[in-house]
Amino acid sequence: MASYVQTSQAETLAPPTERYTLLGWVYKHLLSPWYNLVLTLVGGLLLYAIFKPALTWAFTGARWAVIPANLNLLMRGQYPAEEAWRLWAVIFLLALAGGYNWGVWSKTVGPALITAFAIPWLLMLVPWFSWGTRLNLLIVEAVGLVGYALGRITPKQRSQWAVYAFLAYLLAMLLLLRGLQEGHPTLPMVPTRLWGGLLLSLLLAFFGIVFSFPLGVLLALGRTAERMPAIQTISVLYIEFIRGVPLISLLFMSQVMLQLFLPEDFPQIDHMLRALAAITLFSAAYTAENVRGGLQSIPKGQYEAAASVGLNGYQTMRLIILPQALRAVIPVLVGQFIGLFKDTSLVALVGLFDLLGIARVILANPDWLGTQREVYVFIAFLYWIFSYLMSYSSRRVEEALGVGKF
Amino acid sequence: MTVHTPETVQESPSTEHEHIIVCREVHKWFGDFHVLRGINLNVKPQEVVVIIGPSGSGKSTFIRCINRLEEHQRGDIIVDGIPLTHDVRNIEKIRSEVGMVFQQFNLFPHLTVMENITLAPIHVRKMKKEEAEALAMELLERVGIPEQAHKYPGQLSGGQQQRVAIARALAMRPKIMLFDEPTSALDPEMIKEVLDVMKELAQSGMTMLVVTHEMGFAREVADRIVFMDGGEIVEVGTPEHFFTNPQHERTKLFLSQIL
Repeated sequence: MASYVQTSQAETLAPPTERYTLLGWVYKHLLSPWYNLVLTLVGGLLLYAIFKPALTWAFTGARWAVIPANLNLLMRGQYPAEEAWRLWAVIFLLALAGGYNWGVWSKTVGPALITAFAIPWLLMLVPWFSWGTRLNLLIVEAVGLVGYALGRITPKQRSQWAVYAFLAYLLAMLLLLRGLQEGHPTLPMVPTRLWGGLLLSLLLAFFGIVFSFPLGVLLALGRTAERMPAIQTISVLYIEFIRGVPLISLLFMSQVMLQLFLPEDFPQIDHMLRALAAITLFSAAYTAENVRGGLQSIPKGQYEAAASVGLNGYQTMRLIILPQALRAVIPVLVGQFIGLFKDTSLVALVGLFDLLGIARVILANPDWLGTQREVYVFIAFLYWIFSYLMSYSSRRVEEALGVGKF
Repeated sequence: MTVHTPETVQESPSTEHEHIIVCREVHKWFGDFHVLRGINLNVKPQEVVVIIGPSGSGKSTFIRCINRLEEHQRGDIIVDGIPLTHDVRNIEKIRSEVGMVFQQFNLFPHLTVMENITLAPIHVRKMKKEEAEALAMELLERVGIPEQAHKYPGQLSGGQQQRVAIARALAMRPKIMLFDEPTSALDPEMIKEVLDVMKELAQSGMTMLVVTHEMGFAREVADRIVFMDGGEIVEVGTPEHFFTNPQHERTKLFLSQIL
């Protein structure tokens, strides 16, 4: 009698593989069946229609001279040229602190690290940069490597040094950028109204993120604190009010209206500081809602387990709940921070000379009439580079932390 | 219809000092639903009490009241001489004396096995890290998985996770261990490894309150079995009494359904 029961153990087979020649791949994916052929043709025509004029313009028609002629303005606004070394010092220190943090937290050399070290080399290829700039980029590279090496040899028990290094960097950066007082021999004060271009955009985004993140986490905790109705109500009111108004109205409020409400003899508050405050307060409300989403994703069992081993409420939040909640919302938070970076361009509408504001100044110069496309394409490219960097590094951080793995 | 009437409890004050858990007339409501309807139960040190009963009988709610994961609304619960009240200090004190093991393990997924176990000793007992890690290794040996110390919970099987959860609770050197259906979420072939650890723990003299459906475990390990139904204790007795000569109709019905 035929048996359908296996009499010996089934042998292990290799998984099926699909291998194509180049033509075979093209045929399978692009040409067959007939509707794929049609789609390929239509798609090809569309690409041609878009890229031909775009590339023709970029390589033959565009007056790219506007960019190198105004590169300093675009990069740092009216920040005095004789003080530009301070900006480079800020970048060197960033490379040092960043490399150090990297060395402390990640002990493996991966593709992300190689990418990070490739960036200065790629920038050296930009044709408009001077040799001085290229030399400085080389120093950035060297300083970053030194920081990384220091991080690698820092013992694991001293990981908190990385945090201290970052905080020290923040202070040094502010000191270098702003200087001490007017007429000081080495560090004369550079008032914030001279800060501009990419420098200002990056600073607004950077400090907006650094300040709004902790504020947002506190608001999220406040909103979920059911045992403290007063704090909860304040958090809800704040979040819902801020989310109910557009950022531009907050910016107008801070730049134009605020001074009208204050007493006449009240000293003028720094314009950049006001814009930064508006951006921070705005972003914090969104951070709060994103973090709240993360908090809600933590099962009740985690709170119970923490309580059952005797952790108090603060320890439970710090050691158990927040690490898991924040890890879960990294992708959302980074998306929001990328949005914040691009939203800083709104400050151009209230009279600050960020990247967009400077672009408008350049375009108003009669020498460069009619170069809107060149200038806007260039600043769009800058925005894209930094947004993509944030997005790329967040994916690397997610991988390192194993987001979505458990 | 409880076997322990208030009268029988009033006899006990003379012996109260030798009870590590005292529950008097414990009531609790979820909204309008009366889950616990006057629970009286005293537990002596080193005693193993197994609580059985149909689902919804309030047995999990009852043991969760003992470390205040649920708040009882009437009656007294006194654990190791400390009354459970709204006083936060008492609650934290009791929680560090009472270990708990959950049905869903509730390990901390972002921490390694070692970190799961050493977290509370370091942050609550203020133990040194090296000391806590030595303790954790000792406990992992005891539950039989020292080689898993540096893995994350997600990399372990259910049975291994539950044994880590037991080690985590033991790391606080508790006087009492509560088990809330510790094997109900496990695949059948992993139940035994967890029950073996619990048996060893019982033999070592730990005071244990165990909610379970494992009748074999109850028969072998329990000093007393408590049968709960409809939010009250229907019958209390030795395993011998329970499995050979149950008195109450509801007990008989329940046992006939599960055995």
